[in-house]
Amino acid sequence: MNGDAANPALPLPRLSAGASEATHLYRELRKPLLRYLVCLGLSRDEAQDVVQDAFLLLHRHLTAGGSQENIRGWLFRVAHNQARNRQNRYDRNFAAPSGAELDEISHDATPERAVLEKEKFQQLGKAMRLLTQPERECLLLRAAGLRYREIGEVLGIATSTVSDTVERAVKKLAEKCHV
Amino acid sequence: MCEFSGKLVAWLDRELPAEESAEVERHLGACAECRGSVDAYKRVSADFDAYCEDALATSARRKANPWIAVAAAAGAAAALAALFLVWPRQHIRPPLFPDSRQAVVATPSIAESAVLSSVRPAQAIHRRSVIRPVQHQVEHAAPTAPPVQNASFVPQEPVIQIAIPADEMFPPGAVPQGMHFIADVTISPDGSAERLRLRPRLAGFERSTVQP
Repeated sequence: MNGDAANPALPLPRLSAGASEATHLYRELRKPLLRYLVCLGLSRDEAQDVVQDAFLLLHRHLTAGGSQENIRGWLFRVAHNQARNRQNRYDRNFAAPSGAELDEISHDATPERAVLEKEKFQQLGKAMRLLTQPERECLLLRAAGLRYREIGEVLGIATSTVSDTVERAVKKLAEKCHV
Repeated sequence: MCEFSGKLVAWLDRELPAEESAEVERHLGACAECRGSVDAYKRVSADFDAYCEDALATSARRKANPWIAVAAAAGAAAALAALFLVWPRQHIRPPLFPDSRQAVVATPSIAESAVLSSVRPAQAIHRRSVIRPVQHQVEHAAPTAPPVQNASFVPQEPVIQIAIPADEMFPPGAVPQGMHFIADVTISPDGSAERLRLRPRLAGFERSTVQP
């Protein structure tokens, strides 16, 4: 498995058609996918495995002549389902990263700023744990840059439901974090 | 509660149809409460983004530093060894010699032959080697073994060696498989700990002592 520091090479065989698009997608979406999966509660290694599996499935999907519409939503849906399958297999629950995961704050921050950031992130972590699973997932997918329609496709819910869920989740976070 | 309060996040995310979006914008021009809410939602969204980014960065740092677990294990092993320094002094009794001024010789072959006969059951410590009077040891000692002719003999090598199987102390995966930590403890003639050295090694549980 390649480390993050390494140049992220496409983990797919060369495609005769659409290769450049797949490469572009990988470079663009690998990090948002990883971030989404880690924030869902997967370990770094598990998240990387899921991302590679998702792109492998994308390769098969494209070479089989599958639809190229909304590939971003397609990738997030595949990754989301794979993550859920893994967590079911290990009998774990979706959860926001624990406070302990956030002990280490950016090395660039001054000590005062680091303390403030740590407190803020701990508050956010606590608030995240108070959200429902759909609220957490909607927020994380929104933070990954997905539109409400795409979030609905990933989670299999209506766009209007996504809108209501995101609205509710953001208000809860703002309230709990006293923003 | 304001009638637009349920559309502010969607407006912020540019998810509203053009007509509704224009309505919200007009309302925001007149409603300070909703403007304050929009500002709060912007801030918490930015904070949440930073939170996710930090979670990803933290996971990468943890993956890049697998030896953190090993360092923690070494620290715990040091604490255990420090405990060991205090504990055995209350239990180890040196063997009784007919004349304590007599010279002492300790060799591996002597250690092997003398271990069972000289340790009292009450001494709740496992000894692999013990000190015997010279007169007795001459019968067993290897001819090449250099004798030490001083009762205040201070050995160059560590006199106590503790091999700690790391897997016995830590959950599986915290320490690379087969990794143990050996604490070499040197006891000075007055019985205090003179030197403590920890080193990772593959070894079984073993503890031995040689004492004048």
